[in-house]
Amino acid sequence: MKQALSRGRFVAGSAGAAALAFGSAPYVIAAPTKEIVIGLNVPQSGPYAEQGTDQLRAYHLAIDEINAKGGIMGMKVKTTEGDDQTKAGVATENAQRMIERDGAIMITGGSSTGTAIAVSGVCQQKGVIFMATLTHGDETTNQNCHKHTFRRYNDAYMSAQSLAKTLVSKYGTGRWFHITADYAWGHSVYDNITAVVEPKGAKTIKNVLTPFPGTKDFSPMLQQAQAAKPDVLVLTEFGEDMVICLNQAAQFGLTKSTKILVPLVDEYMAKGAKDNFNNVVSTAPFYWKYHAAKYPGAKKFVDAFQKRYGFPPSNGAETAYADIYIYKMAVEKSGSINAAKVIDVLETTKFQFTKEQEWYRKEDHQGVNSCLVVEGIPESQRGPGGFEYAKVLEVHDGPQVVAPLTSLACKMETA
Amino acid sequence: MEAFFEALLGGLVLGLIYVAIAVGLTIIFGTLRLVNFAHGAFYAIGAYVGLVIAQHIGVGWAFVAAPIAVALFAVLLDRLVLRSFYDKEPTAQLLVTFGIALVVEETLRLIFGATTQQYQMPGSLQGSVTLGPITYPAYRLLFAAGVIVMLALVWLFIERTNYGLIVRAGVRDRIMVQLLGGNIRQASTIVFALGAAIAGLVGAAATPIYSIDPGTGFAFLVPSFVVVVVGGLGSFWGAVLGGLLIGELQSLTNLAYAPASNVVIYLCMALVLLLRPQGLLGESEVIRQ
Repeated sequence: MKQALSRGRFVAGSAGAAALAFGSAPYVIAAPTKEIVIGLNVPQSGPYAEQGTDQLRAYHLAIDEINAKGGIMGMKVKTTEGDDQTKAGVATENAQRMIERDGAIMITGGSSTGTAIAVSGVCQQKGVIFMATLTHGDETTNQNCHKHTFRRYNDAYMSAQSLAKTLVSKYGTGRWFHITADYAWGHSVYDNITAVVEPKGAKTIKNVLTPFPGTKDFSPMLQQAQAAKPDVLVLTEFGEDMVICLNQAAQFGLTKSTKILVPLVDEYMAKGAKDNFNNVVSTAPFYWKYHAAKYPGAKKFVDAFQKRYGFPPSNGAETAYADIYIYKMAVEKSGSINAAKVIDVLETTKFQFTKEQEWYRKEDHQGVNSCLVVEGIPESQRGPGGFEYAKVLEVHDGPQVVAPLTSLACKMETA
Repeated sequence: MEAFFEALLGGLVLGLIYVAIAVGLTIIFGTLRLVNFAHGAFYAIGAYVGLVIAQHIGVGWAFVAAPIAVALFAVLLDRLVLRSFYDKEPTAQLLVTFGIALVVEETLRLIFGATTQQYQMPGSLQGSVTLGPITYPAYRLLFAAGVIVMLALVWLFIERTNYGLIVRAGVRDRIMVQLLGGNIRQASTIVFALGAAIAGLVGAAATPIYSIDPGTGFAFLVPSFVVVVVGGLGSFWGAVLGGLLIGELQSLTNLAYAPASNVVIYLCMALVLLLRPQGLLGESEVIRQ
């Protein structure tokens, strides 16, 4: 009896060991294959759902284009997708599943710095490349930088520098009031903006933090702003939160009485805020109308996107599209899907797809490319669908506004 | 001091929204013993019906169409799905109403997209009014007044009509009402439709203030549940007291330390559950059953 039992255990044990060995095989052996799997991890629900959904459109466009032309080095690109719900926990689970179960060799996505940092950690641990798309907080390529993570999107530092360069002459000595989303990104933006404008004479009256995610009523914060009568009101909210906050600011008459800054905007936020976005100053790394008129690569992308979906891409979609092509370029140039070799190329190569010639800094993997300062125009002038939302006030070159290397807290791993 | 009064006023408006949703929840629970997680969906449907009507026909009609449409939806839901769950254990009710909430949310997302939308009130209501040192958006004040009038009507219904009598009796002892020949089934349908209609109307009326996206209903539902628990299950005045308390608490916390404003309502609920488990104005009967 005893012997039978131990025999049974032994058999079960071997089967378990075999299952472990083979079950986990897809991500251990990243051997040459006929196809490669890319994990698309974006929010399709939660406050940043619009941004995530538009990135997904751009991913599909880029991947279909690439597959139609024979894939990446002859390998078809397959995708595995997940809705991260703008929650770090869900984003992490998605990334793990994509890597371990589906054998993804590159993860891309974002919309929040909270999710980006979490996914970045997983990818570093698993040795999988992470092309972070829409994440704007400095942390992604600064305090929480990782060897396997690349972020092309402008960071909060670049936005703050750009805003300040454009606006400080006009509002530099005024009284500034901040309403800030209480998480990594919000803090990062607040620190950057105050660090830039305070030395020039701007006085920060107050910073009110709003719970994230889930704030639906910004009126208590807006009432405080109203009572303080600032010259400049900075609303550091993103996605749907920004839309709600701006619309409520209008109800309190703040859009008329105060200059409003929103550190980062995209097409969907401007659409949601309607006329309340008129005259609001913000930054964006890409604006389809501006770039399509200037760069053939952007025109090709905007036209293809418009043809397929019937409306132009948002700036998050642009970075999603470019990230797929940048990854393709790096794989082809290194002749391998080996992460270390791909990283080498990404760290040392200049490239041009939808903007000017750009690159990633070796030291922190922050993309160096331009930042637009834009100002909202009235809804009646925004054209069909309301996607033509702003006029470009100024364009700041990447190297002029990117954080100096000496200020970085990034400690990059060697592999 | 000015900021304090503004926060009080803001808390009143927010609290009134919670009250309006919680009153529906609480009368439905009281009469039907149904824990209705789909109540936030009623809010959302009302908001979207209101949005469409306001954009295409007129704002006034939105306030008529939203509660009627949501009431009809609720009656259908009651007849087709919920009826068979009245006598099941709370877990089954929770699961089925939660499921309905998810189906509604995703359907709204499919039809209207995930974008946050709102409609504007007529120009005269877009401005603000000055009350002494405080400047406050006119529509929010009108909204608060409207909710108060609506609550008064609901109270009259419960206190002064025969259906209301059955509702009140049902809260105390559902079986006895049936034994005495009260048509609790018909009353149930009417109460369910009424609770839903209130949520629908509030959804339509609150959209110019808070905007709407498919997830908004759920976002308001959770604090409203807290309100019902704090106020006491099945109690009208409990919902009123609980709603105003939670609204003010949230608003004043926002003034003092905004990041804590979401946590504080759950702390309040935990305290009430520890010290007075039946809720502030709840009857201990309900707990025992």
